[in-house]
Amino acid sequence: MKHLDLSGDLALGIVRAFDASPNPYVLMTPDLRFAGMNQAFLDVVGRAREELVDRPIFDIFDGGGSSEKAVENARQLRESLERVFTSGQRDHLALIHYPIEMIGADGAVRIEDRWWSATNTPVRNAAGEVVYVLQHTTDVTELELLRRRVTGDADRSAVNAILSGNVMARAEHVQKDNRRLHAERNRLMDLFIQAPGFVAVLTGPDHVFQMHNAACGQMVGGRPILGLPLAKAVPELAGQGFISLLDEVRTTGEAYEGHRVPVQLVHTSGGKLETVYVDFVFQPLCDEDEAVAGVFVQGHDVTVAVRADERQRLMIDELNHRVKNTLATVQSIAMQTARYNPDPVRFAESFQARLMALSHTHDLLTHSHWEGAALFDVLRHETEAHGRRRVALHGPPVELKPASALALGMIFHELATNAAKYGALSVSDGRVTVTWTVGHGSLSLVWRETGGPSASRPERRGFGSRLIERAIRHDLAGEIETDYGPSGLVASLTIPAESGRA
Amino acid sequence: MAMSGRRILVVEDESLVAMLLETMLEDMGCVPVGPAATIDEALKLVDQETFDAALLDVNVAGQQVFPVARALEARGIPLVFSTGYGEGGLPEAWRGRPTVQKPFTEAIIRDALMAALGVKRA
Repeated sequence: MKHLDLSGDLALGIVRAFDASPNPYVLMTPDLRFAGMNQAFLDVVGRAREELVDRPIFDIFDGGGSSEKAVENARQLRESLERVFTSGQRDHLALIHYPIEMIGADGAVRIEDRWWSATNTPVRNAAGEVVYVLQHTTDVTELELLRRRVTGDADRSAVNAILSGNVMARAEHVQKDNRRLHAERNRLMDLFIQAPGFVAVLTGPDHVFQMHNAACGQMVGGRPILGLPLAKAVPELAGQGFISLLDEVRTTGEAYEGHRVPVQLVHTSGGKLETVYVDFVFQPLCDEDEAVAGVFVQGHDVTVAVRADERQRLMIDELNHRVKNTLATVQSIAMQTARYNPDPVRFAESFQARLMALSHTHDLLTHSHWEGAALFDVLRHETEAHGRRRVALHGPPVELKPASALALGMIFHELATNAAKYGALSVSDGRVTVTWTVGHGSLSLVWRETGGPSASRPERRGFGSRLIERAIRHDLAGEIETDYGPSGLVASLTIPAESGRA
Repeated sequence: MAMSGRRILVVEDESLVAMLLETMLEDMGCVPVGPAATIDEALKLVDQETFDAALLDVNVAGQQVFPVARALEARGIPLVFSTGYGEGGLPEAWRGRPTVQKPFTEAIIRDALMAALGVKRA
């Protein structure tokens, strides 16, 4: 509605015309108080101006008391007024039953049954905000009573003639229908706006945003898109195929459905281009002539699901890789153990012991979610079967990467097995002392056996000593020196901390 | 024996698996070269040593072996990939190459090497 800038004589003239009008008018504020009214209104409700101005409407006219019917009457009127303030649209109450309190000449108060027909019109200020509602109301009580009194056919047709064809009943009917449709529309709009997925209606060959919901706004980082063509509203979509898809939906009239489609989108306000995955439908909207007028876009962001699937696939691949590698390791242990142990009983013993050594280190790594393991724990696990008192461990805390932990686990297992078979742990007084230090970018560890038989270099190297040497060199990029002396074996290991493997 | 005396480069970061491969290669009369535990070591061996074919673990100490594969290709040396991932774990460019999946038997290694070398079964 166009705002009239009133001043001076014109304003005064309009106020006088308003007051002189035979039609009852009343002006109401957003908090539903009387702001003003003309004489015709005061006449029809039988009140003086000072009784009404600034007073809440529903204090004065409560719809006829506290009965259910009265409450319903008041609700209807209140809703109509509130609709005008919130929607800015004119609202009609074609027929409303609204008894009012009348104060008779004798000063006694009585409730009078009244029927009204009212139009509530928004009045805006210069900024376009609705600041008042102007109600034009007509007292139609006489007509309604007349309609209700009529019983005979002849009379009814006479009344119908007066009312130009039962207009009252029809008005009431239409009004009821309107209320229902209005409520339905609001419900649908709410669904549309609050839908968790993105919803938009694009019209015209340039795909202009006619409407969109909150989720759709969030998809594009809250940019203003309403009323803009898609290519302008979301320029980064250019060249990603969506606009040509929309064109196709418009020309063919056939819907398009996309699953897990990647979209490059500026997803957060002022953010970078991100890849978002969407499931969506482009549904053609046809007008009465069956021509495509627009496209209904509906879909949702499935990025989280796509990423989760990707992560899962990577994890399964990684798991598969590890399992296959471990199987190859076990295969190697089996094959080499068999070569050095032709006797099946001894093979089974050695093989199982090595398998358990591998398994122990796996357990340690599992505890840390394969982040690594502490050197102390690896040593403890591989030697504790020989008695904690007999194997002493001394050194600062050292964290090992998984590959290093596995290699050292096998090395300590072989050293301990060897000690138990031929070295210090083969006699009751023998001891093993393991000491280690960290410095100069490397880990130095000494395995010293005492109290056992004197050691000498074996004539033939077994799988154990080959494995130790290879693991140190190959897996740890380190070195080992072995000293066979009268007091027992001394093995000195040096492992670079930053070899990339330790 | 078709494979007798062939020199085979082994690139494998796990010593136990490397030892298994060496044993298998020796059993079929080949001469294992290496084994290299890292990409750098492998590239050095490609530069300095001579051999007839190579067995490459795809994932070497957290790195992919393809720089080594390219260096071998440039010299016209046939190669066999070994992987825990299966052939699906190979990038498009290397698909279709002889590939063995861990764990493997001696026969599988021999067949793959023969295919890579273009040696007909005796």
